[in-house]
Amino acid sequence: MSALLKDLYRSIFRGDPPSTDKGKSELVFYNVWLHIHPAKVRKEHLKVGHTLYLGFISFFLFLILVVTGVALMLYYHPHPAKAYQDMKDLQFVVFLGPFLRNMHRWAAHAMVLFVFLHMCRVFYTGSYKAPRQFNWVVGVWLLLLTLGLSFTGYLLPWDQLAYWAITVGTNIAAYAPLAGPQIRILLLGGHSIGDQALLRFYVLHVCILPALVIALTMVHFWRIRKDGGLSRPLWKLDADSAPQGEPPRPGPASAEKTYGLMEVVTGKPLFEVLTPAEEEDLVFSYPYAFFREGVAFLLTVAATMVVSLVWNAPLEEIANPAKTPNPAKAPWYFLGLQEMVSHSAFLGGVLVPTLMVLALLALPYLDRNPSRRHADRRLVLWAFTVFAIANIVLILIGTFFRGAGWALVWPWAATAGGHG
Amino acid sequence: MRDRMPRYFFLLSMVILGLVAAALFQAARPPWKKYQREFYALEAQHEPNAAAKESVLKTPLAINQILLPGLQRVDRCTTCHLGVDDPSMKGAREPFAYHAGIQQHPPSKFGCTVCHGGQGLATDKEPAHGHVAHWEEPLLPREYARASCGKCHTKGDVSEAPELAQGRRLFDTHGCRGCHKLNGVGGSIGPDLSREGATRRDPEWLVRHFLKPQSVSKGSAMPDFGFTRNQARDLTFYMLSLTGEEMGNYYTSKDVLPSPAYGRQLFAEKNCLTCHAVGGVGGQGGPDLQGTAQRHSSEWLDEHFVSPTLVFPGSSMPAYDLEPNARAALIRYLAAATPADARSILAAHPKSLSAEEMAIEAGRLSFEHYGCVGCHGENAKGGVPNPNSQGGQVPSLIHVADDYTKPEILSLIRRGKMPPLKDASKPAPPLYMPAWKGTLNEEDLKNVVEYIWSLKPKEESSW
Repeated sequence: MSALLKDLYRSIFRGDPPSTDKGKSELVFYNVWLHIHPAKVRKEHLKVGHTLYLGFISFFLFLILVVTGVALMLYYHPHPAKAYQDMKDLQFVVFLGPFLRNMHRWAAHAMVLFVFLHMCRVFYTGSYKAPRQFNWVVGVWLLLLTLGLSFTGYLLPWDQLAYWAITVGTNIAAYAPLAGPQIRILLLGGHSIGDQALLRFYVLHVCILPALVIALTMVHFWRIRKDGGLSRPLWKLDADSAPQGEPPRPGPASAEKTYGLMEVVTGKPLFEVLTPAEEEDLVFSYPYAFFREGVAFLLTVAATMVVSLVWNAPLEEIANPAKTPNPAKAPWYFLGLQEMVSHSAFLGGVLVPTLMVLALLALPYLDRNPSRRHADRRLVLWAFTVFAIANIVLILIGTFFRGAGWALVWPWAATAGGHG
Repeated sequence: MRDRMPRYFFLLSMVILGLVAAALFQAARPPWKKYQREFYALEAQHEPNAAAKESVLKTPLAINQILLPGLQRVDRCTTCHLGVDDPSMKGAREPFAYHAGIQQHPPSKFGCTVCHGGQGLATDKEPAHGHVAHWEEPLLPREYARASCGKCHTKGDVSEAPELAQGRRLFDTHGCRGCHKLNGVGGSIGPDLSREGATRRDPEWLVRHFLKPQSVSKGSAMPDFGFTRNQARDLTFYMLSLTGEEMGNYYTSKDVLPSPAYGRQLFAEKNCLTCHAVGGVGGQGGPDLQGTAQRHSSEWLDEHFVSPTLVFPGSSMPAYDLEPNARAALIRYLAAATPADARSILAAHPKSLSAEEMAIEAGRLSFEHYGCVGCHGENAKGGVPNPNSQGGQVPSLIHVADDYTKPEILSLIRRGKMPPLKDASKPAPPLYMPAWKGTLNEEDLKNVVEYIWSLKPKEESSW
């Protein structure tokens, strides 16, 4: 019996888990899925306190969304006459249907949240500074794509919540400068939400936006390696006396000469000249990094599953264009925007959000201070904190303190408007 | 560097396996399975031998659903209500009881929710009965389920639900259309009622509303018509039947039931007594119809109505273009027709009217149909209270001919009017004269004016 099991194991895993340095390196080099990692990583980068694994968690949530999303596609028709009934079928008839939908819904909300938190972490550690400016820009685009994915998915259940949240959301889009109304028509395939809009949102949600996210995520990961790995934690900066710039990046000195690969590859070769102190700082990716990532992944999946077992995704009445809920609210992450629009359509709906996105995109180029130490960047820290808190407060006001007619109410004064 | 991570990884993998098991456990035990097991246990009790018992108990558990494209519904009620069409389950406890008296409406063709309401897609008790958030069509209380007959049988009497026809009659005679729109016709002072039964599914609310509108709806402009409890119930039945749903052809083909009363109405309308007699009462051109239903089968009569000469060569009876329902109604009436009834039909036959009388009669019908009665009272006598208008009531129209010229009345109806205030500091009176320009055509308007003009008492017109 044990011989049989051993046989089976050997037929899958030809060798023992690598124990030598060479074996551990080869495990990374020769595996298409693992070779995005370096063979060795800095110990400090594995510390939870440095990154909180927020980027990993965002990526894992995206994986959950892809898997559950593909499963949901098997049960979904993007047509007004069928979509809502498909939701009811998932709820009442499909095996594991409610669980699947709950996972997708809650993971989607969580991903918006974690992408935002990841951005905050990168900001507060100053990790967007040279040479990582471009990767920050890629990250901002990924944040926008995440919002787009969540927003397009919001319409698909075709219930009152979906219909009116998207109505409000696309009306905000119509305030955009120059081509606002045209953008709205392009999104909806008409002047109001109907079968065309549902089809367009569906294609965006399951095809176009995920493809873009996958492509940009690949760039995002690859750039981490090419920009010299993760940024060093702030506490190491204080210990180091070295200047804050990253290791020098020797390139080919002359365009005329022919170079060998060893002359182009940057950074220090891992197996050669390392000072004992540097050697002390490094550990092999296998098993240290991989198991930590695995634990983060399992924790993310487990948390999503627990939430999905306990709380059901909301589903309201079938979409009814003739019956406007009061208040009609956008999805929660756009409620800050809706709150601003309620004060001034142009200022709140166009100018401020446009400036916010532009400021985020341009941040690494505007903030030319090379230091990552908190003491050296008081002003930027303040500015970003105000920006983040203002967004959070506006979203909280829009979510909990706005009632019928967008009047200020206390959260415990029950209103008809829902969000979820 | 000693690493505990692989151990955590392994432990978390176990946790995930546990969670997957929990999800599978949750998914594999839906409440409907419990009901099905109970049902088969109940059924097995009636089985004579052990083998039969065993096979009943081993019936595979499955969701039953009735697809009703014509009603735009899918009903899964029979997943738990397994005994509805099984007479041996008469008197069994719910949800397994047999549903008597639905031979005409088998669940396989009608489902359940079209009459009873509820959420047919659901497979658990609370959501299926619809008493949950975000479901607009909860189960109707048992006694009001018959209101749903009126969804398909939109005209004429339904013998099982006399309240419907009563309610419809009250609706017409009390001029509800004056304020309320129904299927595009009516005023706009009150809410549109075309989907009232779909949006307001609470019969008790409706009854109380008809008895005393302001008691459930503060500040409502609706006058208190002094309905009796029964009348309020009749109107509630009618309201509940107005759901504005689209029913398939199969269902709408029976908008009028082929009742003898409908047959009698057709018999009178088509002037059958001009040629035919019943027991000697009536015309002599065609055969006497007494006993026809005994002499011929209903199939023969039906074919005869479709094409008289085909069944009876040389017949001089014209082929009336009657739909199947109307033919069935006529056949039923023929079986019941008596000479006395024929005499009363002849007596009620309208005598010829002058052009002027016809205009007044048409005006009176419009006055009723468009709900003028609702505010101006029966026969335009007034008396409906309208707080804070001068006089406190909607004016009577009896003496209009003394104060206005015909063109003045015409323009007043066309454009509408706000009643003058008694006290300018108080809110405007709830009732006002709507503009009828878009609703009534020129001819209707003129006829209504003629009718109002004719209301002036005759003895007064002499001076």
